[in-house]
Amino acid sequence: MLENIRYFILRALRNMRQWPFLCSAAILTMAVALATVATFFLVVINVEQLAQRWTEEIQVIAYLRKPVPQRDLAGIIETLKNYPEIAEVHYVSQQDAMARFRTRLADDASLLDSMDADVLPASFELGIRPSFRNQEGIDRIIERLENTLELDDLRYGQKWLERFNSFVNMLRFVGLVLGSFLLLAALFIVSNTIKLTLYARRDELEIMALVGATMRFIKVPFLLEGAIQGFLGGLISLLFLMLSFNLLISRSLTSFWLTPGDFQLLFLTLNQQLGLVFSGVVLGVLGSLSSLRRFVRI
Amino acid sequence: MIQLYNVTKKYSSDSVAVKDLTLQIDKGDFVYITGASGAGKTTFLRMLYAAEKPTRGQILVDRKNITRIRGNQIPYLRRKIGVVFQDFKLLQSRTVYENVAFALEAQGKKRYEVSKKVYQALKEVGLEHRLQRKPLELSGGEQQRIAIARALVVDPLILLADEPSGNLDLGVTLEIMELFKRANARGTTVLLATHDHSLNQRFPRRIITLDKGKLVGDQRPLPG
Ligand SMILES: Nc1ncnc2c1ncn2[C@@H]1O[C@H](COP(=O)(O)OP(=O)(O)OP(=O)(O)O)[C@@H](O)[C@H]1O
Ligand SMILES: [Mg+2]
Repeated sequence: MLENIRYFILRALRNMRQWPFLCSAAILTMAVALATVATFFLVVINVEQLAQRWTEEIQVIAYLRKPVPQRDLAGIIETLKNYPEIAEVHYVSQQDAMARFRTRLADDASLLDSMDADVLPASFELGIRPSFRNQEGIDRIIERLENTLELDDLRYGQKWLERFNSFVNMLRFVGLVLGSFLLLAALFIVSNTIKLTLYARRDELEIMALVGATMRFIKVPFLLEGAIQGFLGGLISLLFLMLSFNLLISRSLTSFWLTPGDFQLLFLTLNQQLGLVFSGVVLGVLGSLSSLRRFVRI
Repeated sequence: MIQLYNVTKKYSSDSVAVKDLTLQIDKGDFVYITGASGAGKTTFLRMLYAAEKPTRGQILVDRKNITRIRGNQIPYLRRKIGVVFQDFKLLQSRTVYENVAFALEAQGKKRYEVSKKVYQALKEVGLEHRLQRKPLELSGGEQQRIAIARALVVDPLILLADEPSGNLDLGVTLEIMELFKRANARGTTVLLATHDHSLNQRFPRRIITLDKGKLVGDQRPLPG
């Protein structure tokens, strides 16, 4: 048994040495396919992360027709806080609004001197619980607010949210379709590359069958070869991704992403990295399996 | 060792390669298979190692009926049979040693066993000093001796040779015949397909003659 394993590995390695061009073609094909799929995966998870950050900043601002009388304020805040969708409630009185406006205008604040303190409307700024940071959640909040308060106007970046949601959904969908398509294409190319190496070695296969090698004995080295090639392909794609990712970061291209300051681009987790290499192995084995089935007959 | 009962092989409905062949070959026999080109010699040998299936009839090898042999049993049949071809069928990219070792490795033999047997088999054919050469660096006769070493290294019950000296000159042919005779003397049943009638004159043995797939002659040398 051990003897066989040793023999299989030696044969697989020798085969690869013997046909370096075909072998590297198979490895590179898999590396390219895997790297493309993984790149797409990275784009999707980073955009999702970005989306996550952006939606964290989503809040509903409810402008009131009339400011809330001081004695009712605590009660209303309590009611609002009890709604399951709402995480935080912050009341901005007319005076607060004016004060903010003043700070924003800075040097030009004196322009406001002639104005009444109650020009600006009072408002509630509502933080939303994460699971309701979507269109439905916001619709529910609006409904509740309309029942509770006398509203003048509502702001929550609705158009933007809708568009962004559908964009992320589309990205996921395209990623899924493109990813499966690419993997299929890789499988096809790998299977054909291995078919080519099998064709180049048909004499050897014929003689093996002639001297009484079993199917298993003939096939295992090729499956192993596919696995090794897939492993190397996966490794190369991983190295390539790491290098280009680090390059991206070191060139501080991240600043082009209009992102919150603490935003960090995500790379593959250790498990995902292992998964990438393992996918290479699976791809290689499947590729050689499918071509062996058609090629090796006794 | 080998029995055929009414064996017919058709490649297509109008081409009959072997027709209603019935014969028996005993253990330890040395048999020439002769006949004109297209007589069915190669087809006959190919059916014995299950490279072709007979269209009709039954074939027994080593008391086993191989007529309807299953694919996964074919390797075990072939381990009892060594085959030598006119074109040697050596792997050009492998050394002499590796070519012969191939047959043992394919059967999953242990490494120390392999190297010992390969050396012995190559010594037997007189090429133990060419271990690390590639086949193309050797003469045709030497290449055929390597192919014979590969066939014999597994100690087969049966040795099939399809015009093994078809491309070789007389001197080499005689050397090769000597190897076959020695294998036969050790108990291997030998079947040798050939056009060359002079071989039988030098080494009289049983001759089976085919013509258009039919058995037309089966002569044994007169004793003494
Ligand atoms: N694979 C094949 N497909 C179709 N017909 C075949 C095939 N192999 C052989 N034949 C036909 O079967 C007949 C017997 O061929 P076979 O090769 O057995 O003859 P042979 O006696 O070995 O001839 P030779 O002395 O030329 O080698 C021939 O008519 C040949 O054309
Ligand atoms: Mg022939």
